[in-house]
Amino acid sequence: MSPRKSEAESEIEDLDVPVVALRQEVRGICGRVLPFAARLTPAQRRNEWLREWRAELWCLQHGGRRVRWDHDVMSAASLAYGMMADAAWLGFDAALAKRRGTASACLWVLAAWCLVCAGLERMMMGSWTVFWSVLETHFLNGYIFIAAPAIFASAATNPVRPPRCEGTHRRGWLTTKARWNLFLWAKVALTLALGFFACMAATAPLRMEIGRWADWVEMPLFAVTVTAGLRWALLNQEQRCQTCLRMLKQPTRLGPPSYNFLEWSGMELACSDGHGQLHVPEMRGSWCWYDLWVERESGSETVERIA
Amino acid sequence: MSSGKLSHSVAMILKALSLGYQFGFEIMEVTGLPSGTVYPALRRLERDGLVSSQWEAEAEAFEEQRPARRYYELTKVGKEAEMAATQRYPLLARLVPEKLGKTL
Repeated sequence: MSPRKSEAESEIEDLDVPVVALRQEVRGICGRVLPFAARLTPAQRRNEWLREWRAELWCLQHGGRRVRWDHDVMSAASLAYGMMADAAWLGFDAALAKRRGTASACLWVLAAWCLVCAGLERMMMGSWTVFWSVLETHFLNGYIFIAAPAIFASAATNPVRPPRCEGTHRRGWLTTKARWNLFLWAKVALTLALGFFACMAATAPLRMEIGRWADWVEMPLFAVTVTAGLRWALLNQEQRCQTCLRMLKQPTRLGPPSYNFLEWSGMELACSDGHGQLHVPEMRGSWCWYDLWVERESGSETVERIA
Repeated sequence: MSSGKLSHSVAMILKALSLGYQFGFEIMEVTGLPSGTVYPALRRLERDGLVSSQWEAEAEAFEEQRPARRYYELTKVGKEAEMAATQRYPLLARLVPEKLGKTL
């Protein structure tokens, strides 16, 4: 035993803190909470989590010379809370990771932002009657006239390939292609709605100050939000897996750019579930006008080019 | 998680890990932080790559007649974050004492 260690041990003894084992109440409460908390953890990590907490509880019972358990019930409650918080955090994080980048998460976020913007507008308008009347007037007399050419302009000048999906296999009661189209149209509709509500909320204070003159600000704002929103929606669609509609990940550069005319070079993005890869060429040419989605067939290892 | 965003509690946990405290209970004991703070913080640090963990060898734990523990340690990124946190909170060194003996 080193002199330093013995000094430390004597220091702990000098603290006059008794070596208190966890009492029966603490063990009882924690023991009862542990299986309930374990249910909050993701199934694949549950055994490991239980094993870790059992080891920690053992330590509380047999070690811990500095911890003073003055109020056993309070200590147990704190520990039980910690257990629950830990399990809940793991469960929440796993659920979040599972949903991150999915089509449903994208639609929910857009819908939530629509509600936030509409709520802001409603708050500033003061009553539902005024709110609906203002929305109707500005939608029918302004937004539609601006949005229609803006939609056409952003679709016509879309830098990536015309949005399309060739997948024919069935996932659930819809084919891959139908799900892809459904998601695209839902996203475009929500993006347009968000653009409208956001512009209305942003120009509401100005409208209250200068009345109809605020239209001169509102109209260009409509045009900008529709164009930018649609461009985002189309680009976002391109960067999703055509099978599961999850955002593609792991961007990897391929090929030396100096060999552009001799060899393929560009960026590759992959689906985290292994459904396929998106090839984005560094320089577009007659041999590759648009980004190329290469699907990996699940049954065989053959790679089929579908775009 | 960048070092600029580290809370005081997380900085204390990183400091404790850098001083050789290796598992949840030990960190709770030395920092005085409740279990509801320490364990979720350790998970988050592990997810963000500041901390890595590994299970103790069963034989070693069996020798001491206790269950095997999960030991945490700082990664290279974690060490950098810990140094930045120590600069940001200079009193950390006084709050977390050095590890002198082995915990049971």
